[in-house]
Amino acid sequence: MESMKQETVQDSAIPHTPRVGVYICRCGGNISDVVDTDHVAEICRLIPGVAVSKVHTFMCSDPGQQTISDDIRQEKLDRVVVASCSPFLHELTFRGAVMRSKMNPYLYEHVNIREQCSWAHKHDPRGATAKAIQLISAAVGKLSHSTPLEKIRLPNHRRAMVVGGGPAGMKVAADLAACGIPVVLVERSDRLGGKLPILNRLFPNGQAATELAAKLESQVLSNPKIEVLLKSEVTTVSGFIGNFEVAIHGDFGPSGHATDIHTTVGVIVMATGFKPYVPTDGEFNFKRHPAVVTTVDFNALLSKQKGDARTFQFDGRCIRSIAFIHCVGSRQVDGVHTPAVDGRINTYCSRVCCTTVLNQALQVRQRFPDTRVYDLHQDIRTYGRGHEEYYTDASRAGVVFYRYHGQEPPEVTNTNGPTSPLRISVKDYLSWGEELEIEADMVVLAVGMTPGPCETLVDQLKLPRGEDRFLQEIHPKLRPVEISVNGVLLAGTSQAPMNIQETLAAAGAAAVKARAMFTTEEVELNPYVAEVDAHLCEGSGACLTQCEYDGALAMVEILQDGHTVRKAHVNAGLCVGCGACVAVCPTQAINVSGWRIDQYDAMVDGLVRDLTPTTI
Amino acid sequence: MIASANSQRHKDAVIIGGGIAGLQSALDLADQGYKVAVVERQASIGGRMISLSKVYPTLDCASCITTPKMSAAAHHENIELLTYTEVNSITPGPEGHTLVVTHKPTYVNADKCIGCRLCEYACDTEYPDVFEQGLGSVRAISVAFTNAIPQKAVLDADYCLACGLCLRACPTDAIEFDQQPRQESIHADVVIVASGFQLNALTIKPQYGAAHNQNFISPLALERLLAPHGPYGRVLRPSDGKIPDSIAFVQCAGSRDQTIGVPYCSRVCCMYAIKQAMLLSGSLPTADITIYYMDIRAFGKGYEQFYQNAKAMGINFVRGKVSKIDSAGQDDLLVHVELTEEPQDCVRKQRHDMVVLAQGMIPQWNPTGFSPVRIGSDGFVATPDPISPCSTNVPGIFVAGTAAGPKDIVDSIAEAGAAAMEAARYLSMRAMPGHSPRTVALEMMA
Repeated sequence: MESMKQETVQDSAIPHTPRVGVYICRCGGNISDVVDTDHVAEICRLIPGVAVSKVHTFMCSDPGQQTISDDIRQEKLDRVVVASCSPFLHELTFRGAVMRSKMNPYLYEHVNIREQCSWAHKHDPRGATAKAIQLISAAVGKLSHSTPLEKIRLPNHRRAMVVGGGPAGMKVAADLAACGIPVVLVERSDRLGGKLPILNRLFPNGQAATELAAKLESQVLSNPKIEVLLKSEVTTVSGFIGNFEVAIHGDFGPSGHATDIHTTVGVIVMATGFKPYVPTDGEFNFKRHPAVVTTVDFNALLSKQKGDARTFQFDGRCIRSIAFIHCVGSRQVDGVHTPAVDGRINTYCSRVCCTTVLNQALQVRQRFPDTRVYDLHQDIRTYGRGHEEYYTDASRAGVVFYRYHGQEPPEVTNTNGPTSPLRISVKDYLSWGEELEIEADMVVLAVGMTPGPCETLVDQLKLPRGEDRFLQEIHPKLRPVEISVNGVLLAGTSQAPMNIQETLAAAGAAAVKARAMFTTEEVELNPYVAEVDAHLCEGSGACLTQCEYDGALAMVEILQDGHTVRKAHVNAGLCVGCGACVAVCPTQAINVSGWRIDQYDAMVDGLVRDLTPTTI
Repeated sequence: MIASANSQRHKDAVIIGGGIAGLQSALDLADQGYKVAVVERQASIGGRMISLSKVYPTLDCASCITTPKMSAAAHHENIELLTYTEVNSITPGPEGHTLVVTHKPTYVNADKCIGCRLCEYACDTEYPDVFEQGLGSVRAISVAFTNAIPQKAVLDADYCLACGLCLRACPTDAIEFDQQPRQESIHADVVIVASGFQLNALTIKPQYGAAHNQNFISPLALERLLAPHGPYGRVLRPSDGKIPDSIAFVQCAGSRDQTIGVPYCSRVCCMYAIKQAMLLSGSLPTADITIYYMDIRAFGKGYEQFYQNAKAMGINFVRGKVSKIDSAGQDDLLVHVELTEEPQDCVRKQRHDMVVLAQGMIPQWNPTGFSPVRIGSDGFVATPDPISPCSTNVPGIFVAGTAAGPKDIVDSIAEAGAAAMEAARYLSMRAMPGHSPRTVALEMMA
């Protein structure tokens, strides 16, 4: 008790005694099943400066947020702490709530008592409860040293760069340009369309892929707001939302020679697409036998078939039977499949291959009735609208199905030279696990999707990838097309395998976010960047040696009391607030706004504050 | 009696349905400065998602994802929420669409109601709670659910005895027994249909003749049982309150089945069954959990890994078609299943404490007769233009989420963004001089 009195004296020593509201969320049981939230609220009332301490089932719900607003007004709160889930989910929600009540949003602190307390210490309710109290106490301590901050406002360049000229990229560009937003579309190859042309006939409507590609292309080419750069690549990129500085290298000089373009864009859309999985040499006899091909190759073979032969033709031969093998390069099993060069296996499902196979199998059966078709799958995943029909129709058209287990993939062996049939052995679980042997003149491997090339942007913008190596969105439901770098959006298969309709929808979702970013003249950034106290700075330059962000810090010469002196200067747009500079400044002249050293000290004091409950 | 439509308001966009897809479309349009109205037939926005426990593949609590979007929509200066309101008709015209809507009587003056729930506490008439899938009960006057938006009481005239208890309890005199339905006509440049789905009946397959058994439940009911704030606060089987020891999931029980007219895949059942199985094994660690399936369709980002995790957790995946479900005694159920993966014992009868039936997704709303919007052979809104997957046959009317076919939350949200983009594109082209809806439509289809 003695120590607490002392604290109170210390806290009241700061000029303005804050009135803090503490709100503890039960998260519908996610928190309160472990943490004794009522007890936390009770103890938090003892923390100096806390005027209100309440519990709610869902703080993030409207009634929860309303409680905060009412208290700010009625209880004259000037600082708010919400103890709930990860700030990643709801810090912005509550900042918005306090802002609506005319409170400075940076006088709000978010404490994570779900991931860090109830989930992490599920089997220790007492400990989880005590930790929740400590964390809240630290946040209250920090707030007592917080000052109102303003967002940083910087010009917003009303121009988008779309990387990738496939269907996703074309769709984003066309959507944005139709709303009057200038777009630069950067495509590595010499044409638009991406992987669309290799798709032949699209499911579920049988439309020619080239037709769809041509429509999208004409929307792009006919809009003067879109600058299409073919045979070009982004070489350097830096900056931040509203202000990305980009260098693009390509053959677009006046006489077609290589040139660099430097430009500024507000938003970057990653429509970098996918690469079909390439089977390793010998995987299902791939590259060892000419009649082992991928679904990509097979699309091309299908479109090249001529005449009215009743049998599929390949290399001048009649193919009497074709076996399709699903999940090649997808749903791989640790210990069964050989890892790729980077040591990884593709454990994910590529989503599109099942319907792709059935689409191809059905076309074979319909056009070449004398060619038999076998289908070797794990599960048939014809999930989409109009997809199940391919499965039903393929069954009716006489496609013979075999089901294998992922850990016992079929084996393909070459019987006798390049023109002889292949032998496939499979343990079939449609016939109670019987070991079967099938002979087929051709084997088609349903290859999955792997992420398309985008290393330059990934490295330079530090974009995160998921376990599957595709670009990783912030949250699949809350912010599905955004990535942790503000101002960079994901469109289409750069994010995950998708079919063409899903790709176009994802591109639309990215476009709508991009357009929303251009509704303001300025971009607003969080004020958590380094700030220099010019009186304390002695121009040692130590901060500069530690800064990893190009252009975020510079030494400038300024006139002070009639002398020219060297001082550190922060570029707020490029500083990420990492604090590396703070640690090395010999005079403590540099601090990160909102996370100053005195705030950390106050947090530490808060953490060790003597509030230990006698009983829980 | 219905009051006459005398006012006509203008909105840039009207969204039909305040579920997750409708809210996402509304937020995306409102963020671009468009004035949006969301028409929701229920007393609260939030749709199906707000009643779920946790959502795959992240296992976030559904409320944690839905409530912020609900709240953001409620507080957005460009969004107006019209709850407890039905759409009567949509009529396209040369200058946009006219929607006639009916505000159903709530018998509570929304301006006066402060959401204190004193009426609800006072009321002594209870009936099965639809939000809790009939597992709990609700008063005849109540706020829809804990985190409903708006927090306003609604009186259900079908159950109210007009005893006046609520009238006396209400501190603001908000109860109005004489409220009438009120019709209104809204003019909108674009409409997004996000009217969602419903599940086909538990009784749809006569072979599954145990529908009267209380332990033969809908997946939505299991969501409520699993929800931390659900009817019992824990997983108990409905008939006798026993902690279930053996739970079965019967997949494709209302989809991929031509005999009941639902040949398509409902797309979400595999994943929610896996999720529910995982949650069950968390709360009932010793229970046997079996999923009877034809194909496991774990196709989305992170879904296959989710499936593999469930297998590693010991959930029993049994491939085979369930031919019959009977009651076994008073409370238990007997599942007859034909197995394809085991050489002996091809047909097995298995007793379970509780059976969850993967009912199929069917459309919630059929626009035929109310609007010129066409539907496909599956009954969902048709999307004839492959280049803009959210366009309907009517220029300026778009579709999002499960109104255009079964899909999960992740895909619904992506599609809702796309529908908002199509709508924004249409609106900004219309705003250019010399454009009519028809020329815009032609240009967009070009």
